Amino acid sequence: MAQVVSALDAVLQYLLIALMALLVLDVSWQVVTRFVLEDPSSYTEEIARFTLIWLALLGAASAYRRKLHLGIDVVVQRLGESKRLIVDVMTHCLVALFAVLILIYGGTKLVMLTLQLEQVSGVMGVKIGWIYMALPLSGICFLLFSLAFILEKLALGSSPDMPDVRPAE
Amino acid sequence: MEIAILVLLTTFLVLLLLGTPIAVSIALATLLTMLLSVDSGPATTTVAARMVAGVNSFALLAIPFFILSGYLMGQGGIARRLIDFARVLVGRLPGGLALVNVLSCTLFGSISGSAVAATSAIGGFMIPAMNKQGYDKNFNTAVTVTASTVGMLIPPSNILIIYSLASGGVSIAALFIAGYIPGLLVALALMIVAAIYAKRHDYPVDDKVTFKVALKKTFGAMPSLLLVFLVIGGIVSGWFTPTEAGVIAVIYSLVLSMFVYGEIHFSQLPHILVKSAETTAIVMLLIAASAAMSWVLSFENIPQHLSQAMVTLSDNPILILLLINLILLVVGTFMDMTPAVLIFTPILLPVVEPMGISPLHFGIMMILNLSIGLCTPPVGNVLFVGCSVGKTSIAEVIRPLLPMYVAMFVVLLLVTYLPFISEWLPGVFGF
Repeated sequence: MAQVVSALDAVLQYLLIALMALLVLDVSWQVVTRFVLEDPSSYTEEIARFTLIWLALLGAASAYRRKLHLGIDVVVQRLGESKRLIVDVMTHCLVALFAVLILIYGGTKLVMLTLQLEQVSGVMGVKIGWIYMALPLSGICFLLFSLAFILEKLALGSSPDMPDVRPAE
Repeated sequence: MEIAILVLLTTFLVLLLLGTPIAVSIALATLLTMLLSVDSGPATTTVAARMVAGVNSFALLAIPFFILSGYLMGQGGIARRLIDFARVLVGRLPGGLALVNVLSCTLFGSISGSAVAATSAIGGFMIPAMNKQGYDKNFNTAVTVTASTVGMLIPPSNILIIYSLASGGVSIAALFIAGYIPGLLVALALMIVAAIYAKRHDYPVDDKVTFKVALKKTFGAMPSLLLVFLVIGGIVSGWFTPTEAGVIAVIYSLVLSMFVYGEIHFSQLPHILVKSAETTAIVMLLIAASAAMSWVLSFENIPQHLSQAMVTLSDNPILILLLINLILLVVGTFMDMTPAVLIFTPILLPVVEPMGISPLHFGIMMILNLSIGLCTPPVGNVLFVGCSVGKTSIAEVIRPLLPMYVAMFVVLLLVTYLPFISEWLPGVFGF
């Protein structure tokens, strides 16, 4: 489990670097074609929007792995250690529920539906179903990360936990 | 309808208090509310589809770019040159380095959109420098923390882009121009408080510098300040879209910090890209989940009902605005700015619009209000970062922070009740 998760984590990091770099290059190219070549590219905007969707969903899973998501921990921090452990496990279960119901189940249905209806994008004619694939893929990452957190917490038992410091942006 | 509100609110609040990530709380509460009236198949696909639709926008792309350029500027020696320039301008006035601190944060805010970036970039230099001159470190941290939030109002500002989205399309360019005067007013108010405090404690001021040195430092800051004209000028004149301006800011700060200043090495880029991607994704997941929620909200007519309920409390705009400000101040102490704007704009804007309050004016008021929350416990990102940069604790910083909260609150009241503070400048530019 731990190995699968750290391998997945590494793959996600590389994907994020690639997606972020793609965004910068793509929109830079749009500026160049509009102002320098005076022949605005028609497909850069669509590429950029689709890249952002993938970046948002995969990046969100990666940010979850690093506990970067914004949450309110004021109440939880006041709990005793054993209660806190239970609540922590519960929140990771809720993230898993979110991953399974919305991202994996809802996302997969959406992918199948749009592929079936053969919806394509306006400019490039890409099948919309492929864009929506980011949903179940992100869901699987979320699910694996949440399971890893839950196992980690349960293994820790009541031994003192490192405080979850929310790092700066 | 009542049941829908009840389910949405209770689920959301319970999940939130358990410490579930806000975006996940919103998405799950939305799904549960939908399940009341729709089957599980269509409900899950609708939430999933609405989430994707929420981030499928070219205007939102400005956000990753301003986040990335913020990271590049924080590490690229740009902050230090802005500080040198600010020192030339105000270092010799009473309050010396405290004023330099506020002005540097304002200048940094005018090229970057992140308050946390300002706290660590400017505070990282200024707090130790002020400590060395005998300023109290808690005061120094308080100055940095509050001054960093000025950048929320001064463009480019990611939160103004998010408000533009949440309000249903107030022009980003108009919001950007509208932020200048309120932002500068906050900076001014903070400078006055800092100067009085420094005078009372007899803190030193900078020595006179020669004209040659002053000129050199001014020239040093010019390449960074040029970015303001390029990015904001480009957006306001309609030359670039905010997204295009964002990518230009990225390329410009990349070239400046890698090739001109030589302070970022190529090997650091992957790390900077990953950090920016994750920060972007945090914001985008919130936007995605809020998009699904606002779909359910309008499906159930919830904003209209809440608005009506609020209007029955009072139809006096002065009281309603005061009430909204108080609610937002409380929200701001518990919740980060982005989710607060995404959740409360669609609910509160319909309350104030019929009273003749423009979405532009309301947006600036709301951002300024929530900026105060960034510097307050129990949840205040900027405060946390500030305390770790300043090597002090929240409990110790609170005392010097109090007069600064008052200063920000006074400006908030001015902005709330004098609409021309936010509306005059955009009017001049024809918005």
